[in-house]
Amino acid sequence: MSERHHLERQGEGGLYETLSRSNLVTTKGWYAAAGVLFALTAAAVGVFLYMMATGLGVTGLSRPVMWGTMIILFVFWIGLSHSGTLISAILRITQAGWRAPVLRGAEAMTVFALMVGGLFPLMHLGRNWRFYYMIPYPNERMLWPNFRSPLLWDMVAISTYLTGSILFLYFGMIPDLAAARDHATGWRKKLYTFLAAGFRGSHSEWRRYHVASTLFAVLIIPVAVSVHSIVSWDFAMAMVPGWHSTIFAPYFVAGAIYSGIAGVITVMAFLRRVFRLEHFLTVRHFDNLGKLLLTMTLIWGYFYFSEFLTTWYSRLPEDWELISSYGTHYLPLFLVMLTCNFLIPLPALCLSKVRRSIPAMFAVSLVVNVGMFAERALIVVPSLARRNDPSVWLGYFPTWVEISYIVGSVSMFALLYVLFSKLLPVMAISDIKEHLFRTTDRSIGAATVPSVAQEEEGEGE
Amino acid sequence: MKHKWAMVIDMDRCTGCGACVVACVAENNTPTAGEEEAGKGRLMQWLRVSRFWKKEGEDTRAIFVPTPCMHCEKAPCEIVCPVYATYHDEDDQVNAMVYNRCIGTRYCANNCPYSVRVFNWWNHQWEKPLDEQLNPDLSVRSRGVMEKCTYCIQRIRRGKETALKEGRKIRDGEVVPACAQTCPPGAILFGDLLDPDSAVSRMVKDPRLFKLMEHLGTEPKTAYLKKQKGPGR
Amino acid sequence: MSERSRTVVIGLFDAVEEAGAAARALRTLPLPEADITTISSVALPDGAVVSDPRPIRFPWAVALFWFVGAVSGAGLTLYSYLVYPLVTAGKPIASVPPTMIVTYELAMLAALLATLVAGFLSIGLARYRARKVFDPRIHEGKIAVCAAVEPGEQALRAAAALKEAGGAEVRTEEGEL
Repeated sequence: MSERHHLERQGEGGLYETLSRSNLVTTKGWYAAAGVLFALTAAAVGVFLYMMATGLGVTGLSRPVMWGTMIILFVFWIGLSHSGTLISAILRITQAGWRAPVLRGAEAMTVFALMVGGLFPLMHLGRNWRFYYMIPYPNERMLWPNFRSPLLWDMVAISTYLTGSILFLYFGMIPDLAAARDHATGWRKKLYTFLAAGFRGSHSEWRRYHVASTLFAVLIIPVAVSVHSIVSWDFAMAMVPGWHSTIFAPYFVAGAIYSGIAGVITVMAFLRRVFRLEHFLTVRHFDNLGKLLLTMTLIWGYFYFSEFLTTWYSRLPEDWELISSYGTHYLPLFLVMLTCNFLIPLPALCLSKVRRSIPAMFAVSLVVNVGMFAERALIVVPSLARRNDPSVWLGYFPTWVEISYIVGSVSMFALLYVLFSKLLPVMAISDIKEHLFRTTDRSIGAATVPSVAQEEEGEGE
Repeated sequence: MKHKWAMVIDMDRCTGCGACVVACVAENNTPTAGEEEAGKGRLMQWLRVSRFWKKEGEDTRAIFVPTPCMHCEKAPCEIVCPVYATYHDEDDQVNAMVYNRCIGTRYCANNCPYSVRVFNWWNHQWEKPLDEQLNPDLSVRSRGVMEKCTYCIQRIRRGKETALKEGRKIRDGEVVPACAQTCPPGAILFGDLLDPDSAVSRMVKDPRLFKLMEHLGTEPKTAYLKKQKGPGR
Repeated sequence: MSERSRTVVIGLFDAVEEAGAAARALRTLPLPEADITTISSVALPDGAVVSDPRPIRFPWAVALFWFVGAVSGAGLTLYSYLVYPLVTAGKPIASVPPTMIVTYELAMLAALLATLVAGFLSIGLARYRARKVFDPRIHEGKIAVCAAVEPGEQALRAAAALKEAGGAEVRTEEGEL
């Protein structure tokens, strides 16, 4: 054969071993990481139980700042969750050639960030043991939730998104679970046999599988957009200066995609390093993700400026007091946001040298998410701290309880990821295989370039 | 029998003494937060006397604005509660708060432009013998729920029951909330707007009348009478 | 044994080209297109070895369930306006924006769940009792060509055709295709 495809060069057995290294060997390092993360998460859970037993007085909240770190964390994690599924779905639908190694990691990021983020609105309740009052089911309390409250929309949207993302993650994993089933032994074999649900890879199965995956991707995109819009409406529906704005929904969606792409880059850099996937997650992926991140930097900056300009120009007294506080009391936060979200990433990501350096991309992605955390804090806190009535104005600073939630949420996310990488295929093995299968070396003159075969749209139906 | 309870506060009479606040605390089983907590913005009082400074020529004068719940007809707090813990009482046209339903999302407090809602950050204790003076007409709120001025709903209910028993209409001035009852200069007036002869109904026609943040469209039922300018004021 | 269980001839091939030759040989036996399939660890383009003429209809079920979800979302909100007509903020009891949002979210939820269930049914997943023809060596890079045949002479001829095309480990099994 003259044109050997890239898959043969790799050898499928070897490919599986490389890609699922995380499942095969459990190193001491894994136990150490999982142990530390578990301890940190458990500590945060302990702090939460303490707060539950004593009262929300242990937080830094007050009147008028009734929402604080827990809501910031909620918006932050939901925002971070945003991109994984969205990117994966968009890349699948547009059949971006470089998508395969990014898919699984991004989808899993969505699910775990949602799981973490979804906890905070429940934790922040004054009587969090009564959270089920919000669920519409017939009950003896004669109590029914108020669907006119944006919090109810939130609950409906987030549960839809979480369910959808888990299904999307699982469905995308089925062929990989089938591969894992045929390689594994012992309890893993039982687990994978159950999860793979008898997927074989017959021709008709593959055809139907692709139709269903596309359908999932098509359905999950509008859900993802709606979720962050609704999170923004929690704020925009309230008549609070700085919150009550029509731009909030698209602005939040853009911000969410921005922080989400940065999150994907962070996770990819970790996976690449820890599971030695240098061969699959190449500089090219980071370069492409970097370009996406650059686009989002610009879009975010554009949205922020247009929101700012309206207030700046009209100087309505209530809004103006809020904006002025960015220049005084909240100046550090404002500067952190501006620097980390715009002034650093914009020039850095313009340079291909930065985009093509993985440590640099890792650093930029972290910086962006620090900036996005500051941005969320700047949305939630100053608007409340500078309410309409100046006689109640007050500052806010998180207490040790809330700071331990910040640490706990990061470690819980990481813990879920660490457990996931041990249990389930962390790379989209069959997507990578398919990509390699369709890639051949083509000679153009004296040069040899990889060429990917793809059906014309509609022909594969 | 429908009512539309309303309050008119005459800024001309208010001296900022704070007796209304004390009366409210005594009537409504409001816990005392303590100095440290008060500094953190966790006063539990349902009624606050906001103080603003105003320069008039050479002098600086204080303006006192007693701020109870405005009982808005278009109350922004009501619509955002996911569990109907705060809703509009159609009989009395007041903004009602149901403690047992409240799960403490604190969304209502965020959406209240007057910031009159307070939250139970702790399980408050009444040291002996203070617990002896708790008002039996209303509950002591537990930790994690919102509370706010009710226009002394327990007094409104008592008045309505008495009137019903005696088979008559409720008389103007029969129901007086604790703040209005206590106010030494008589700056706070309370009554039924649906009763055309009540004192409040007359007062709301006063040209001095204004409402707080009227431009927000909340239609508050607590109204104010502007300070008059002139000698002797 | 379920009714779908048939006699199946299966052979393993190293390359797509060989598998294609085998499928051509089976077709000339003649065997109907629908009775020949491949099992592979990567999806092969339709027509590369075999083609699947059956139309895929389950997306219609997803569309149907989208509407079912929409109706239940609208119903849920309308029901709550009926059973709990509490006035808040002087706004209408039956309010349009929340109805739209809940309707939309529940429609999407129903469609996503329907995609999973309909996809599973269409692919034939989660039938753990069923005995399906399979060979785990596809994950080592082999392509299995299988054909449902009549037991007896046709089976022998099919097996011979697979062997001739370069198939390794040609065998006959009872199972689902």
